[in-house]
Amino acid sequence: MSNDSPSYAGRLWSSVEFKLILSWLLVVIATMALDTNHTYWYSSADSAQLILRQTVLLGFFALGSAIIIISGGIDLSSGSVIAMSATVFGSLMIVLDPEGFKAGHVSTMAVILGIAGTLLVGAMVGTLHAWLITSVGLPPFVATLATLVGLRSFSRGLTPTLTGGKSQIDFPDASLRDALKDVTTITIVFVIFALILWFLMSRTVIGRHLQAMGGNEQAAKLSGIRTDRLKWLAYVLGAVSASIVGIISFADNGSAKPDIMARGYELNAIAGSVIGGCSLQGGIGTIPGTILGCLFLRTIIDAVQKIVGAGADVFEGMIVGIVVVVAVTFSQRGGGKLVGKKYFSNEIGWSVIPTLGILSGLSFLLFFGKREWYAPYQAVVFGLVVIGALVVRAVLESRTKVSGQS
Amino acid sequence: MTQPIISIQNISKNFGGTRALHQVSFDVMPGELHAICGENGAGKSTLMKILSGVITSYEGDLAVDGKTVHFTGTRDAESVGISIIHQELNLVEQLSIAANIFLGREFRSGYLFRNDRAMENAATELLRSLDCDIPPYKLAGSLRVGDQQLIEIAKALSLDSRILVMDEPTSALTEAEVERLYRVIAKLRHQGTTILYISHKMDEVFQLSDRITVLRDGQFIATRNTNETSASEITKLMVGRDIESLDLGPRNARGQKILEVKNLSLAWPGHARGYRLKDVSLELYRGEVLGIAGLMGAGRTELLECLFGASALTPTGEIILDGQSIMPRHPSEAKKAGLALVTEDRKRLGIFNTMNVGRNITMCSLQDAVRGPMLNQRSEQELSESMVSKLRIKTAGLTPPIGSLSGGNQQKCIVGRWLLTHPKVLLLDDPTRGVDVGAKAELYRVIRSLCSEGLGVIVTSSELPELLTLSDRIMVLSEGRKTAEFAIADATQERIMEAATQSWQSIPSA
Repeated sequence: MSNDSPSYAGRLWSSVEFKLILSWLLVVIATMALDTNHTYWYSSADSAQLILRQTVLLGFFALGSAIIIISGGIDLSSGSVIAMSATVFGSLMIVLDPEGFKAGHVSTMAVILGIAGTLLVGAMVGTLHAWLITSVGLPPFVATLATLVGLRSFSRGLTPTLTGGKSQIDFPDASLRDALKDVTTITIVFVIFALILWFLMSRTVIGRHLQAMGGNEQAAKLSGIRTDRLKWLAYVLGAVSASIVGIISFADNGSAKPDIMARGYELNAIAGSVIGGCSLQGGIGTIPGTILGCLFLRTIIDAVQKIVGAGADVFEGMIVGIVVVVAVTFSQRGGGKLVGKKYFSNEIGWSVIPTLGILSGLSFLLFFGKREWYAPYQAVVFGLVVIGALVVRAVLESRTKVSGQS
Repeated sequence: MTQPIISIQNISKNFGGTRALHQVSFDVMPGELHAICGENGAGKSTLMKILSGVITSYEGDLAVDGKTVHFTGTRDAESVGISIIHQELNLVEQLSIAANIFLGREFRSGYLFRNDRAMENAATELLRSLDCDIPPYKLAGSLRVGDQQLIEIAKALSLDSRILVMDEPTSALTEAEVERLYRVIAKLRHQGTTILYISHKMDEVFQLSDRITVLRDGQFIATRNTNETSASEITKLMVGRDIESLDLGPRNARGQKILEVKNLSLAWPGHARGYRLKDVSLELYRGEVLGIAGLMGAGRTELLECLFGASALTPTGEIILDGQSIMPRHPSEAKKAGLALVTEDRKRLGIFNTMNVGRNITMCSLQDAVRGPMLNQRSEQELSESMVSKLRIKTAGLTPPIGSLSGGNQQKCIVGRWLLTHPKVLLLDDPTRGVDVGAKAELYRVIRSLCSEGLGVIVTSSELPELLTLSDRIMVLSEGRKTAEFAIADATQERIMEAATQSWQSIPSA
């Protein structure tokens, strides 16, 4: 967008990116205050490095996902493509340099060919998606659901045939591993990758056409845009970005376990994009927004871990769920209003109040159950307080006369 | 004199600023078949929607059996005995015939359980009374259109309807199905059902009806006894619309031939007719506006889509653009060849709602704004600004969302989008639909001035006065065939309407 109405400050204020930065700062400050160990304060460098690594690892394939979402599709397969790419990378090194693999020192040639081959396989997966969607005519949801289950199972089958019966591939080369998981290296690669995609989406004809296709595919086609080719590009970028993560995660984890590796990550990628302002209806979303969305998501997950302490990775899914609901509610057009909208005063609204109360009570128990000041009645009271508050809200809603939805 | 079964008194209805019905009054007598005729947009469908409770807010009164009623939904209309058979049938294709007939009124045994057997038996009875022996457990989607229509009629019968509204019921039927429908209609009338029959096919109307009411521009024009009038009188009443006196200046001199279409046909698998277009030929010269007239479903949009490579199936025939034989299979090929299409359905097929005005204008010509690998914002801005000023688009700059502009200005943006591709031929599919009067005149001027720059323009319209104002020549489509072509001097609304109302069943196939 260029100049004029409304004011520059006004547009900055209303942009998703700005809101995300503000919320991110709030989360960081809140964590500093609530974390009893004050980790962010005493070891800020380590904390920053941890969050950065996680953000970068999520960011790579979330950007791929974002491009697919902006162009009007969806990719459910990224988790499986990550696992498959790690497996393929390991397998290629075994095949190309079996001696070096055993000795713990893989030849540079094998590494380079391995990486290139893995990215190529990613591109092939993307091409498969595009073919299923454009030529076979499957909805993107179905096409990538098939590869979500299919590719993981394929990787599980591939692993034992190359490792002599083992169900995982161990990373062979310590110095290579350090190089591939080095946070500076991967951050630099990520910045380059993100810059290329940002450039593609905001400064080229292709990017504009991707947005147009996401906004109105029929109109795009009737404008003489080759939508099939654009879809190919979007799905290839999506799969290749997941392949990059597969290579890095292989080094980062020290092994490729195709049965559990990156399971469910596809939803984190979609969540990151959506929090970053991409609309699942297509046509709307930016690269910087998606990166900030990933940063926010990883930070809030980290913050909860800091506050709750050990075992908090259990809550990751819960946090993603809540953040997505809140973020999308507030970024919807006309949605997310606290005043003047009826949330609880119809039948379904009333019925959900106990659910929310119980959830709140249980969350309280899970979050603070290990603190020395905790007593069981507190969780019950907390749940009841939430129920009470929602009932009050519902009563107030049913008394006010606003045009509610039927 | 008997009391009218339906009495329509001074009914008016506005949609936003447009007047769909204005002070319409007429009576329908019990047991008669009352035909309602009018051009596209005459207000027939709106009136029928009011009668059947689909539209609930209007001015004026509606009386059934002498009692004033005001329906708040289709259930209300059904409860006094009015049912409507829509042109687009309203069946759930995945459900059985019986389930469709009793949808929302399912027979139950006890409170909870559905009684499918009772429904199927009842459905069989109803269908038998219509001379139809399709088993009622068949899925509605597996039936031919003609049979689906019978299901709708059976549904109306199951509601004990005394008044049946049929909206162009024969448009998708084969000859045999039309005859069966006529038999069903005769039977219904024998039982005393009153039928309101909407059609613009004269032969049909004259064969079936007792009386004919003509609507035009939302106004009641006349009611005639069928045996006291003629097809030509009715046609004249339908089109007697005043032509807005709009002087667009002298017409352009015709240049070289730019486009020639020979025997273009487009198949329509699964439809009784078998084709959407059949052997359509046309010629277009530089500097000329060729108007294409035709009623709903005549194939106007399909013809333009074929020329533009946007049809789902490949048409047969020959398209010669500027001396080159082309047969585009994708809009990008048509665009490259020098064609441009402004689509009929602006919201669905034209604008990009998530984008601003400027980006909507440059969508097809971004290549001209590229410097190196990048889009140059300045050049892009210049492109869109050139169109904003050339077409006098009323907008507060290039950054407001396209949806904030009026319909006419949105349409200009799309015309501008295509002008930036420097086309040889501009195809405009009903370009003034949903555009207010002032903006229409503006668009006419734009089209005329584009012609003077040597462009060939094909324009379709559902409004005859518009075509008569704009065109240098007018060709008429009826049900996929070209039925006439007039030089503008010979074209009158009556002659065009006559050619446009021939039904395909009555046109001998070549």
